[in-house]
Amino acid sequence: MNNDTNFKRYLKLDLLPTPWCPGCGNGIVLKTICQAFDELDLPKNGTVVVSGIGCAGRSAGFFDLDSVHTAHGRAIPVAEGIKYANDALNVVVVSGDGDLIGIGGNHLFQAIRRNTNITVICYANEIYAMTGGQVSPITPHNTKTLTTPNGNPDRPADIQFLFKSNNCFFARTTAYHLNHMRKCIVEALKFKGFSFVEARTMCIVNYGRRLGYKNSNEMLLHYKEFYKINDYAEALAENEIGIIKSAPRSSDGFPSA
Amino acid sequence: MTKQLFQGNQAITMAAEVAGLKFFAGYPITPASEIIHELVNKKHIKVLQMEDEIASINAIIGASLAGLKAMTATSGPGFSLMQESIGLAHMMEVPLVIVNVQRVGPSTGMPTLPAQGDVIQCIHGSHGDYFPIVFYPNSVSELYKYTIMAFNAAEESLSPVILLSDGFISHLYETIIPDRNFDIKNRTRPPLGAGNRHFTGLSHEDSVPKTSDVDNYRRLITRLHEKQQLTAQRYNYYEYLECSKDTDTLLISYGALSRIAYYFKNDFALYRPIRLFPIVEEIKIIASRYKRILIMEMNTGQYAHEIERILHREVEFIPILGGCIDLNEIKQKLYEQRY
Repeated sequence: MNNDTNFKRYLKLDLLPTPWCPGCGNGIVLKTICQAFDELDLPKNGTVVVSGIGCAGRSAGFFDLDSVHTAHGRAIPVAEGIKYANDALNVVVVSGDGDLIGIGGNHLFQAIRRNTNITVICYANEIYAMTGGQVSPITPHNTKTLTTPNGNPDRPADIQFLFKSNNCFFARTTAYHLNHMRKCIVEALKFKGFSFVEARTMCIVNYGRRLGYKNSNEMLLHYKEFYKINDYAEALAENEIGIIKSAPRSSDGFPSA
Repeated sequence: MTKQLFQGNQAITMAAEVAGLKFFAGYPITPASEIIHELVNKKHIKVLQMEDEIASINAIIGASLAGLKAMTATSGPGFSLMQESIGLAHMMEVPLVIVNVQRVGPSTGMPTLPAQGDVIQCIHGSHGDYFPIVFYPNSVSELYKYTIMAFNAAEESLSPVILLSDGFISHLYETIIPDRNFDIKNRTRPPLGAGNRHFTGLSHEDSVPKTSDVDNYRRLITRLHEKQQLTAQRYNYYEYLECSKDTDTLLISYGALSRIAYYFKNDFALYRPIRLFPIVEEIKIIASRYKRILIMEMNTGQYAHEIERILHREVEFIPILGGCIDLNEIKQKLYEQRY
């Protein structure tokens, strides 16, 4: 049994507070990542954190590890460069949904194809929060944001199926389900191959507030009431969180003549 | 050592190996693809074909931070895609070598034909102020030598160094002596995984982002500028040929086009920058001896404007737009301007 505060060894405590707004869920994800590191006792020398741009991107600087804060959307190729250069390193990407699924979406898809042995933790707040609250690739249909004043005309990306294409690891969890989030991150870190944890987290200031939530606690309660845990299912329904079951890796292709 | 016949792009890969290249990421593009074709067959060099040039430059940034000497190679369209992350590499002080084998632009242009249209993009392609070191050789043996210099300058300056080439020189076959006897600069910074440093594109001080500390930002940019200038002075490469006849005209050219300038060596003094940027003192001293400065380049006057700015005097330029180098056309233009 680990000491409750042992996870703090992975943080630069002297840099706190973070730049995040009061009520932001990012701190919950950051803490849970560190708890998962602690549970696996990841060596501080030998673990590297890489992030992109946005609110979540700022979390890399708070790890008491070597960390790289890259350009917008480019955390995954930088992390892959690090991993292919030194396979002994544990390489963890921390970034947001806009960064990883929006601007960096192609890199995500290609990393799945390459099955690079890195772990990606996506702080999925469904919004471009740092720039004020614009629609993101996983903002739900019909939701009002600064750039969709009449409601989001598009359907949100459900990326879990991408991971099945190459037997990669995918889990969805939320900032309410703390033990589940920790379990997902631990399993993702242990997975040999490309792993991705979509951690739903709340943004009250540039998102929830405009949807009628009075505080971030109400958003947490929404996670509690809406999501049901369904681990190791073939696929996750809209209101389910969990780790998806791996499928055998496909090797279809044009045979050599 | 005996002379051997090599293609320009091949020479780049041989020199990169001598310089200590361990990691290459790139995306296929004419006329640079031979570089990845050659490297993929070399042992001890990790080669990745990425999904695009953006991923390529970011992968080599990661690999370089992880301790390996890293390089990518592309042409104009890919170089355009890389620009944002070139700025990132300057801000994070990551040593890299970026080879740009120029072709005719803008856009898809004429992919198989040479040009020199990316000269200004080398120094102003990314947003913000940064001060890259750029080499532009004009032969296969020089591609070999300056690839090694580019790696050394990258290590010394902790910055991405650009090696310019063009479809002409890179596809040229010449005999060279692949000399392995170079002084190679090695990495001084410990690789990732050895501490708690934070590399960031944000303005920063000692691994801590400083997003609104203006004084710190100004100190940072001044330091980066001085570092680049100092390193550039140690790589002070150019070719200067005085004219056998008395002439008042200095003809400046570089890269592929400078090969034809030798034809005029009896009429003009010739100057050829090899370290194209940053431009430091030597051109001022040489130019002060001549009344007229003529610049001939395969674009509409990109380097001429820079030279004008540095010399504080008017220069005449002869645009030879990309695609082909024709002696008669150049003769006509040179002597038209003269008389």
